[in-house]
Amino acid sequence: MSEENLSILSLIINASMLVQAVMAILFLASAISWVMIVQRGMYLSAAQRDFRQFEETFWSGIDLNSLYREISEQQDENVPPTGIENIFRAGFGEFNRLVRLEKPDPDAVIESTDRAMRIALSREEESLGTHLPFLASVASVSPYIGLFGTVWGIMNSFRGLAMVQQATLATVAPGISEALIATAMGLFAAIPAVIAYNRYAALAERMNTSYETFADEFSSILYRQFHAR
Amino acid sequence: MSRILSYVIGAMVSAVLHVGVIVALWANWQPSSETVYLQPKYVVAELVQLAPRAPAVSKEKKTSATSDQLARKKKRQLEERKRKSRADELRKNAKKAALAARKKREDEERLALEKRRLEESRRVEREQQQAEWEDMLTQKEAQMDAQEDQRAANSYRQIIQQRLSENWSRPPSARRNMEAQVRIQLVPTGRVVGVNIIKSSGDAAFDRSVEQAVRKAHQFIELQAMDSRLFELKFRSVDVAFSPEDLRL
Repeated sequence: MSEENLSILSLIINASMLVQAVMAILFLASAISWVMIVQRGMYLSAAQRDFRQFEETFWSGIDLNSLYREISEQQDENVPPTGIENIFRAGFGEFNRLVRLEKPDPDAVIESTDRAMRIALSREEESLGTHLPFLASVASVSPYIGLFGTVWGIMNSFRGLAMVQQATLATVAPGISEALIATAMGLFAAIPAVIAYNRYAALAERMNTSYETFADEFSSILYRQFHAR
Repeated sequence: MSRILSYVIGAMVSAVLHVGVIVALWANWQPSSETVYLQPKYVVAELVQLAPRAPAVSKEKKTSATSDQLARKKKRQLEERKRKSRADELRKNAKKAALAARKKREDEERLALEKRRLEESRRVEREQQQAEWEDMLTQKEAQMDAQEDQRAANSYRQIIQQRLSENWSRPPSARRNMEAQVRIQLVPTGRVVGVNIIKSSGDAAFDRSVEQAVRKAHQFIELQAMDSRLFELKFRSVDVAFSPEDLRL
């Protein structure tokens, strides 16, 4: 290894196979985790915005039937319903279907509506939490992978040191420097993933709670409506 | 639909970020090995050449009666002017040549002067370097001498210590934390010529025993082998601390 050329890239290129593999894995992990970070960020912020909008329209005193129709039309136009709308649609659709029966049993109607909403809710919960496990594992594992690469590289460079007669710093320094790049890359991959995971997990949890609250409120409204007639 | 779009945007952001990092590493992380050579600043002296002022031609205006006369006069004037201008030119050329010659001479002188000055400064620098080098050498020698001295002194100290402890009988009143310091005066033969206690232990018997020990040792014959410079430096008077466990110099 020439000593004049100690740029990071040349260090990477001259690294041993295993360290290079470790670096490649970490680079890939970083790239994918950034895709996830951006995608999740957009999805969650969109969900939050839609929830706020929907709640505004819902509590503005709009007729529930027309709201239902609007959402159904939207779906027909290939605009996918967002989380909260899905829950509303599932609950209200089920309720309407059961109310139109000959002799609706109030308990059965409410229970069935609740079940429909619960199913939609759990589906939403699932989609809120997609990719978060991936981010979590990148966050927790990539420092270890990087550390493994570093330890391996340093091990090799010390073994090389044992073979030379005159041990100078210059014989080990490039190897150690090269090995430390693996740790740096591990941290580079892990830090954004940790931050994103913490933030998005909290956000998803909050959205989930809001959905649940909404489902409960909606269920009580339907119950009232059913008994008022 | 929008889901795929968000993935695409994410992939793009990720790609841009990582490519940016790679480019940054590629571009910036070379250790800069550029050396800057300082160039001496010369002040170039130049002769300022004054442009020769054009001779003022006085215009004579004379009205004469006849045109013939006027023409002749004009002709004469023209000739005269021509002559004048030729003479002027000649004069100017001579002047220029003289100026050029002077300039050249001055240039040469200047160059020689500069060369001499440069040589002078180089010589001074070399002398300075040599002087520094010699200084360093002498310093190093002095240091080594001092180390040598220290080593010799330590060995003599050990001899004195041993002899004193052989001759010292500790009194029964000696306690563990007692300490007495004595100053021993020596002569180059190694003989003890004086003992005084400079720090008492507080116990009279202890102090007496210490003094006794020094007097009993009487002469350190080994000190005769020591060179006189070291003796004068360190062994003309020696301080010894006695304490029940050991004695230190």
